[in-house]
Amino acid sequence: MLALFAIALVGCDAGVPKSNLAPAKAKAAQCVEPTAEMRKNHMQYLLVHRDKTVIEGIRTTKHSLNECINCHIAPTREDGSAVHYADEKKDHFCASCHTYVGVKLDCFQCHADRPQVAGTINYQHKLSSNTYHLSAKGTQPNASDLLWLGNSQNQGVTQ
Amino acid sequence: MSQINAYRRKFMAALSGIAAGGLASGVILRSVQANDVPAKPVDQPVSNKVRWGMLIDINRLTDGGASMVEACKREHGWGNDPKARPEQQAQWMRTVKVTDKLTKHSFTLPVMCQHCAEPPCVDVCPTGASMKRADGIVQVNKHICIGCRYCMMACPYKARSFVHENLTDQQPHSPRGIGTVESCNLCVHRIDKGQLPACVEAAPNAVIFGDLNDPNSRISQAMKALGGSQIRADLGLNTGVRYLGL
Repeated sequence: MLALFAIALVGCDAGVPKSNLAPAKAKAAQCVEPTAEMRKNHMQYLLVHRDKTVIEGIRTTKHSLNECINCHIAPTREDGSAVHYADEKKDHFCASCHTYVGVKLDCFQCHADRPQVAGTINYQHKLSSNTYHLSAKGTQPNASDLLWLGNSQNQGVTQ
Repeated sequence: MSQINAYRRKFMAALSGIAAGGLASGVILRSVQANDVPAKPVDQPVSNKVRWGMLIDINRLTDGGASMVEACKREHGWGNDPKARPEQQAQWMRTVKVTDKLTKHSFTLPVMCQHCAEPPCVDVCPTGASMKRADGIVQVNKHICIGCRYCMMACPYKARSFVHENLTDQQPHSPRGIGTVESCNLCVHRIDKGQLPACVEAAPNAVIFGDLNDPNSRISQAMKALGGSQIRADLGLNTGVRYLGL
C-alpha cells in the first residue's frame, strides 16, 4: 500500500511541467501596471475594461487586451510559423503561464491571439483617393484588391 | 378586400419610391462626408444624445449592395469559416432580390441588422447579451452570450448568425468565435474612432450615415426631404437603417 502511494507521488512529481516565464519577464518593466499587481490582478483589469468597451464604447488602450497582445506576442516564431494560444509548444505568452497553473482561458476562442499580420489587411478606403473602389465600375482594381475579392463573385446570395 | 388593400399599399410604396429616386439627384448632393461621424474622446462613454442611422438609396446602388457586403466581410472577416457548409456560413449582411409577382419588377437591396429602437432580439435574450448601446447600436455582448439563438429566432430581418466552429486569426478589432451569435454592429470600433462603417465607405454615393437625433445632420435632412422607408414598418420597430426606392 505504501509502495503504491510512493509510486503515485513520484508520478505526480514527474507530471509537473516547467513554467516558461522568460517572455513575461522580458517585458515586465514596460507594463502598464507593476509586476506584482499584474501577476495577481490582470484578469480583473481585463474584465472591467471589456465591459466598459463593449457596453459604453470606451476604447482607451491602457488595459485593452489588444494592446497586451500587440506588446507581448510576436505574430510569428523565428522559423516563420504562426504563434497561437492553443499550440502544443505552449510558447504563446498567455499559454506559458496558464498551462503551468492549469487555469483554462477562453479569451482566444473569439479574440485574435496575435498581432495583426500584414496579410490580413484592414479595409481602409480613403475618401478622396482615386484608387480602386468596390462600388466603382470603370476603374481598374489593383492586385491586392483582386486577391481579396477572390472567388466571391457569386456574392449576391438571395434569401 | 384585404388583398386589394395590400396591393394598393405596395403600389403606393412603389410610386413614392420612384418619386424619391427622381428627386434624389436634384435635392441633395449625396456622397459620404468625413464629418458625418464626429470623433468621440476615447475615454468618454457613448451618449444617448446620438442615434446612429443609415439611409440607403437602392436606385443608386449599381450592384444591389454586393460591394457593401464585400466590404463587411473584409472588415470583420466572416463568410469564409473553413468547416461551415454554405448555409451555415455567418452572414452579417446579404443582398435580397425582391420581385413583384404582378409586374415582374425586381430590385436588390442589402439587408443587415436594422438597429431597431425597439429590438425584439434584446427583448428575448435571457442573459442580456443582446443589447442596445446608448447610441442606438444593437449588438451582441459575446462575453455573456450563451449561444441559445433565441435572438436569431426573434429577429424579423434574419440578421443574425451563429458561429459553429473554432476560429483562429480573427480581426483584432472584431472578435468572433464558437458558440456565440453575431451580427452587424454598425462597425462600432470605427464609429468610436470617428470613422464611417466599412459598408458606407464602400458605397459612398448611395448611402448616408449619421445622427438621426440631430435635425441638422445630413441624414436627417435627407430623410426630411425624401422620406426613408423601413422594411416591415408594420412591426413598429423604428429601425435605424432606412431605404429609399423600396
